[in-house]
Amino acid sequence: MGLSQVAVLASAQTELRPAWRDAQHIDLISSVVTSVFKGTGITIDDVDFVIDSGSDVLDGRSISNCGFLGALGAHHKEEARVEEDGLWGALYGVNKIRSGASSIGLIVAYSKPSESDIDLYWSSMVEPFYQRPVGFGQKAALGIQAQRYLAAYGIKDSALADIVVRRWAAAAANAWLAVDFVPDAAAVLAAGEAAAPLTKLMLSRPVDGAVAILLGNEDVARRMGRPPVFITGMGTSLETHSFAERSANRLDSVTKATAMALGKSGWASAAEADVVELSGSSVVGELLALEGLGLAAAGRGVDAALKDGVNASGGALPADPIMATGLVRLAEAAKRLSAPVRNGASAPSKAIVHGTGGVAMQNNCVFTLEV
Amino acid sequence: MGREVGIVGVGQTHHARRRTDVSQAGLVREAVNRALADAKLSMEDIDTVVIASGPVLFAAVNQPEKWVVDAIGAQGKSVVRLTSGGGAGFAGALAGYYQVAGGYSERTLVVAYDKLSEGQLQYSISTLYDPFWGREFAVGIMGFSAAYWRARMDVLGHTEEAAAIVAAKNRNNAIANPYAHQKKAVTVEDVLNSKPLCWPIKLLDVPPISDGAAAIVLASDKVAHHSTSRPAWIRGMAYCCEADNAPERSLMISEPLALASRQVYRAAGITNPRRQFDVVEVQEPYSCFELNYYESLGLCPPGQAAALAASGATQIDGDIPVNPSGGCMGANPIGAVGVIRLIEAATQVMGRNETHQIKDAKLALVQSGGGWANLRGCAVLSA
Repeated sequence: MGLSQVAVLASAQTELRPAWRDAQHIDLISSVVTSVFKGTGITIDDVDFVIDSGSDVLDGRSISNCGFLGALGAHHKEEARVEEDGLWGALYGVNKIRSGASSIGLIVAYSKPSESDIDLYWSSMVEPFYQRPVGFGQKAALGIQAQRYLAAYGIKDSALADIVVRRWAAAAANAWLAVDFVPDAAAVLAAGEAAAPLTKLMLSRPVDGAVAILLGNEDVARRMGRPPVFITGMGTSLETHSFAERSANRLDSVTKATAMALGKSGWASAAEADVVELSGSSVVGELLALEGLGLAAAGRGVDAALKDGVNASGGALPADPIMATGLVRLAEAAKRLSAPVRNGASAPSKAIVHGTGGVAMQNNCVFTLEV
Repeated sequence: MGREVGIVGVGQTHHARRRTDVSQAGLVREAVNRALADAKLSMEDIDTVVIASGPVLFAAVNQPEKWVVDAIGAQGKSVVRLTSGGGAGFAGALAGYYQVAGGYSERTLVVAYDKLSEGQLQYSISTLYDPFWGREFAVGIMGFSAAYWRARMDVLGHTEEAAAIVAAKNRNNAIANPYAHQKKAVTVEDVLNSKPLCWPIKLLDVPPISDGAAAIVLASDKVAHHSTSRPAWIRGMAYCCEADNAPERSLMISEPLALASRQVYRAAGITNPRRQFDVVEVQEPYSCFELNYYESLGLCPPGQAAALAASGATQIDGDIPVNPSGGCMGANPIGAVGVIRLIEAATQVMGRNETHQIKDAKLALVQSGGGWANLRGCAVLSA
């Protein structure tokens, strides 16, 4: 059956910063929903549906999407709330367009963790009877995950610090991120303990912001006046909730999601990608994601993390707009594939994008993109 | 459209006011086991899973799919959660529908639930309102719903009796439903004489608060026959919204439902809903909303819902039976209700509804919705 190809037509994001004090959720959302159309020849009237990602818990509001429908441009359209990172919202949107039911969709993800208690966001996610009462949460899980990884492969925390420095340097070069300092390795190691062996800078930094992506079918994409960035593969996998039962030192769900995505795109391996955009909840989480994608052997993620093309945007460590981080990765990857290059320069043609959710990266999603 | 999608297996819990014997995860497992058994499948045969539940605050577990996944044996699979207030189940089923229709999966399990005994329902709903301007005087959703009804009385001259007819019909239908837990015969008089909660809404106009889960297996036309020789095919399905705040909305016709039904009817070839549908299942959080749906879905002309209800046409033996299952009045595990309505309609067109089969039912209409009456959808199922 000839299902339509789906392309990323355009994207827009607010600056990602620790706190947008002078803007409400609706301001952040309407800002990206307005600017995503610029230069596309498409208007909100052409959009068939809106899918949004955000968290009722972070927003402090039940069915919080209901309060944002106008800002989302969803009035009188089909709307859906995926309560997971926006990359899963994009997955829904791609399926909807592929089915032929719609031709253009708007995917929006936003986050304002500065107004929320982030530790409670995570601890309310863990198993309520046996784990929550003992204080288990995101930091504890990421710390244990990192301890085991460093011990298993004899890796020093200084190696982790080098990766963090590289990500913050990339972030400082990214016009859409608020970064007022770039730490050196010593600063990363001295940043104060978050969950041993991870220092505060080895965890992703929660930031406020919003991102919007316009998806379209092939007909629409071909009329955009530049080579379409097609989404050629998608996969997602949710691990067991029980942290103790998960495989040590690897993220099986990344491996499964990658296999699913590559099976659809027909790539031999993720190494075909010129652009790699990852969402690591911690620096070790980023390494586990790289290894799960098959871009490094087990325990060898450090080398792969320092390669060009891996999180050139800075990734999630300097800027983690919880629930929007993966969709930001998709926007960054699509921008890099569609950016014009000088004559003679080699243009990137393939990208792999990773998003995550849950305590210690329980849920993972992988997209392949091609121009 | 891409590919045909059918419902090939269904399962729901025996809903109750309080299920203290199971956790949320255990409740979900019951419905999933029944749906898989009904589809003659095991979890291994399922490609992807969609979990739907109401707002997180209803039961105080954030992103509960990440916990529930272990109880249903879906670890490692593609699992995502949709939420949309009262319409969560329907919104989840729609996401599952597109996973199959868009070629992402061959078989998708959709399970929806709410365990409302574990939270403060109306408090949770009150947080829907704007934190600065709306919450001070928000009292759950009932006052809001009363305004919808009062508007019908003022503008259309409808009486309290019109909604009481709906409430009595659904409550009496629920008696035969083995999954319902509110089963008491009532008369229209009983409804009219019941205690006012937020006039004109009275006690018997309001459904119970329930714990419950419901699951369906969706399959592509390629693999549906492994489960059943007679799937319930989804001929059209849509879920629309309106962004306006209540004072700017029409309280007569639900605009998002009218838009959704126009889109779905076009896809399904429905030109005369009153004549074409054999059975209708709607999600009526308060009895008055069912009247609104009659008009928004085109079962009667605008303003004539009270006459339609009074005519007896929507009774179980009428020409357009609405909620032969009893609807929400029998059980109302909010986030699950969209899937429960799909199950009740699916079993009708599959010809195997356990207790209230409408004779020769071939074409069914399902309505569901949530939010502050601004998220509304419908689907057409056929044999």
